[in-house]
Amino acid sequence: MRLSRRAPETQKLEWPTWQEIAKLGVALLVATLLQTTVAPHLRLLGAYPDFALIIVVSVALVKGSEYGAVFGFLTGMFTAIALLEPFGLSAFVFVLVGFIAGRYAETADLSAGFAPILTVFAATLLANVLFATAQFLLAREVPFGFFFARVLLPSLVLNTLLAAPLYVLVRIWLRGAGDLRVARAR
Amino acid sequence: MAVLLLLSVALLTLYFRESESGLAHGVQAGVLRVVAPLQSGTARVTKPFRDAWNWVGDLFSAKSQNKALKREVERLQSGLAKELTTQAENEQLRGLLDLQGDRIFPDGVRLVTARVVARSTSAWYSTVTIDVGSGDGIGVYDPVVNGAGLVGRVTKVNANAAQVMLVTDQQSYVDAMVEPGGAQGIVGGSVTGDVTLGYVDKNEKVKVGQYVVSSGRSGSVFVRGIPIGVVESVGSQEVELYQTIAIRPFVDFRKLDFVQVVVR
Repeated sequence: MRLSRRAPETQKLEWPTWQEIAKLGVALLVATLLQTTVAPHLRLLGAYPDFALIIVVSVALVKGSEYGAVFGFLTGMFTAIALLEPFGLSAFVFVLVGFIAGRYAETADLSAGFAPILTVFAATLLANVLFATAQFLLAREVPFGFFFARVLLPSLVLNTLLAAPLYVLVRIWLRGAGDLRVARAR
Repeated sequence: MAVLLLLSVALLTLYFRESESGLAHGVQAGVLRVVAPLQSGTARVTKPFRDAWNWVGDLFSAKSQNKALKREVERLQSGLAKELTTQAENEQLRGLLDLQGDRIFPDGVRLVTARVVARSTSAWYSTVTIDVGSGDGIGVYDPVVNGAGLVGRVTKVNANAAQVMLVTDQQSYVDAMVEPGGAQGIVGGSVTGDVTLGYVDKNEKVKVGQYVVSSGRSGSVFVRGIPIGVVESVGSQEVELYQTIAIRPFVDFRKLDFVQVVVR
């Protein structure tokens, strides 16, 4: 895995086609509904799956940093709206996660199978630390032991386990099954 | 990316600083009008799968629950004879006081049934979204109950949805009392999900197994007598003014499908 390869200088952001916008819209809706209505009932290993975060990372890995940042912003906004929570915080965290994951995809060799898993692991770590910091700043109780043992560790394990299947589904949805067969043949 | 980050911070600031009728809240209400029916539909479609999932989960915990329930039955059987005697007295006293028999809620109170359509998976918040709102007469601070007891209270309201802060949330406080005995205190949640009864004077005698209900004191948002939970442990330290009382809530907060909002 090479981390030093830079994105081509000539690469410019192209406006998405209507078909791409529709596909991303569906992904956004699915991410929001999965996160707010399905995930709360799927407690596993002491944690809830973070479908929204994994889908943001997967979109960023497939489409790049700009798409990742915008998709992350909208996912953060929609999940906050659906839960009647103050919006802005989730959007802030998901913009960062989407952009960084996208940049990683643009500069690293993603042919290694574990790249999405590694990215979701790092994204979960970053997102959880940012959310906990925000709670601390909002004067809510954030015990370190609880955060580490009951929030961070279970989330890292569960999200990492879900990373590969969700990434494959998002990739097939955005690029088609043929793209996956080509990648496997390389 | 910088623009989006700045926009996020600006929206967050705007949301906290503006009133409930402000721009950000208006946008939230508008988008939620579209999203809420989709959430409700998803909740309905996925219910059989959720039930199957819960059933599998329950199989694992059934053995330990069975032991606990056997102990509970033994304890309740021993108290039954005493209860039957006091029940007869109680009915006479109720007749004298002209109270409403077995009803908890006073006249003029309406119960609005709602479906739980979304829930925060964040460890820092214990909230759910329900599919009724101001259009159904729901208001902020309305208590929310289900068949088992007190679920929480309404903290935000939209035209067709409302947010409910659960009793387990670290910012939830309910004025409560222990029955029998009448020791008064405040039931509070915590970030770990544990529920405690605080501010109970050391001189009050509280025993494990006693029930905790809302006290409905003057000015309280909760009506008197809503079951909250059972006392699980009682402790006190020399240096502290109050007892430390842990409560096991009656409501299973992981399996909330339907609730009722108490509208006054």
